[in-house]
Amino acid sequence: MEELALKDLWQSYDHKLNKLLEINSQYLREIQTQKVRSTLRPVSTIKIIAVVFGILWVAGLGFLVIHSLTISKIFFVISLLFNMIVSTIAIIIYVKHLVLISQINNSSDVVQTQSKLMKIKLSTVQVVRILLLQLPMYTTWYINEKMLSELSTGMWIFQIGMTTLFTFAAIWFYRNISYKNLHKKWMRILFSGKEWTGLVQAENILEQIKNLE
Amino acid sequence: MTKAKQDQFLLLIKENKGIIYKIAKSYCKDEEDRKDLTQEIIIQLWRAYDKYDPSYKLSTWMYRIALNVSISFFRKSKKTANDISIDEEIIHLTDDPSSGELETNIHLLQQFISGLKELDRAIMLLYLEDRSYKDISEILGITETNVATKISRIKEKLKQKFSLINQY
Repeated sequence: MEELALKDLWQSYDHKLNKLLEINSQYLREIQTQKVRSTLRPVSTIKIIAVVFGILWVAGLGFLVIHSLTISKIFFVISLLFNMIVSTIAIIIYVKHLVLISQINNSSDVVQTQSKLMKIKLSTVQVVRILLLQLPMYTTWYINEKMLSELSTGMWIFQIGMTTLFTFAAIWFYRNISYKNLHKKWMRILFSGKEWTGLVQAENILEQIKNLE
Repeated sequence: MTKAKQDQFLLLIKENKGIIYKIAKSYCKDEEDRKDLTQEIIIQLWRAYDKYDPSYKLSTWMYRIALNVSISFFRKSKKTANDISIDEEIIHLTDDPSSGELETNIHLLQQFISGLKELDRAIMLLYLEDRSYKDISEILGITETNVATKISRIKEKLKQKFSLINQY
């Protein structure tokens, strides 16, 4: 089909639509009076909730650390401090996202807007990767002076084994969670189905943008 | 916003209902999703209407919003009980009894466009809407040379698809 034929065909479609399409003016008025709301869940809302809960979480951990500064609770304090550092990094990333989201304008050109949006979407992967670094701390926070002196050899082996396993898991996830591995099965399991689909789509769009530039 | 501005917006949507419908149809195969997308495009246009920068053409502004909303539409959440039922469609097609070669070809063209990648789809839609290369480059944010190259490649693909269909 030739160039003009394609456009002619589209024009015929256009004429047909102009005759057949009808506008529901009352519904349109309801949009103007904000009776009809967006069905999209704003990305920023989710991130604001995450930042608020994150700050409360870190503050809570900080409170516990301050009230536990004794040698007998050294494992507890170090574990919580590490958890606080990792959580703070995640909060900072989310705050950066919120700043970027506030700069996104749908009336900017498509490539620029989509590039920003998709990069923010994909950096969710980075946050998960960082948050999983906390894993070993969940196997050490409960160790105390009494436990150190009373633990049997078998339990020591179990304890060290668990901490080592969780440490390796954290390192492995940190090194392997990447949007480049999105198509691997374990990534699909790690990120729930709907989120994974969104990530893959974001990756595809970024790839298309790269090819256009 | 003043009543006059509200009326202006109503008129804008009435005059451009075809554009919104065609873009939404190209990005959503599912009927229910298309209704949601149409609504979302109009909501975003309305929200941005007050900040419209007259240094850009109104059509450029409209295409940018409609395409940006359509491309990123996959971030969808469940509707809440407060939302008005989507059975009330903003832009709807009245019954079309006509059928024939023209309709078949339009349907095929729509199918081919829907099968393109998101950004190629945007380029092709703008091309078919008879936008100049300069307009397309402004709406998408790529160079005119890139627009020309892309259009020529996509057209070639479409031609091949049409000729394949015609063989059978």
